[in-house]
Amino acid sequence: MDPAARRLTLPASVESVALFRDFVRSGATEAEVPAEELEKLDLVLEEVLMNIARYAYVPQNGQAEVAFAPDGPGKLYVEISDWGNAFNPLEVEPPDFSRGLAERPIGGLGVFLVRSLVGSIAYRREGDRNILSFNFPGSGE
Amino acid sequence: MNIEPTELEKAVLLKVSGRMDAENAHEFEQACEQWITRGTKHLIADLEGLQYVSSMGLRSFLSVAQRLQSDSGSLILCHLNGLPRHVFELTRLIGLFPVFDSAQQALATL
Repeated sequence: MDPAARRLTLPASVESVALFRDFVRSGATEAEVPAEELEKLDLVLEEVLMNIARYAYVPQNGQAEVAFAPDGPGKLYVEISDWGNAFNPLEVEPPDFSRGLAERPIGGLGVFLVRSLVGSIAYRREGDRNILSFNFPGSGE
Repeated sequence: MNIEPTELEKAVLLKVSGRMDAENAHEFEQACEQWITRGTKHLIADLEGLQYVSSMGLRSFLSVAQRLQSDSGSLILCHLNGLPRHVFELTRLIGLFPVFDSAQQALATL
């Protein structure tokens, strides 16, 4: 990652999501990410960080780290890490869209939204660390 | 997030504004549950002031709609715009809810 990257490490908890969001937002604004993309970025961060907060360290607690660097005009490269159970969110099956209201499962939408809203996305396990990296914004639909 | 209910003849209108996220989505679900427990069949969620909804919010919408449908009721959405509309479209939930431009149009179908 770019040595000029900015990093923030906080407890992996619901309460940290807003702090991470404000941290990345400040960088996104400096990098001139278009204003209409900022709430999508909030959404991506919330989905990834909530998954970490709820599942990565069960039953213990741990930390999450968000790092980002500018990636060309109006773009960011973002890495989100945790030191919890090995988990590749990109292996999560997409929701079953063929089901009607009564049968539609209530979960599984978060990872799908993340994949829909970012550019290229990758997962790697380095030692005891899960790292999800992506470019933002994506190229559109 | 702010939720402002209005009791109408055939439905309860809930004006939802602000941001619906992991921290507060359960508040929407609880507000709906209260009306359902009191016998309300149709809830109309006016989302004109809603700027943001994450997957936890989608879960709440889905859960309330499933509960109402199982009792021959419905959760109707109106003024679904901006990021919330985009998110409903991406997850293809939009086809599972009655969606109208305005609460008046929604009421006319009940």
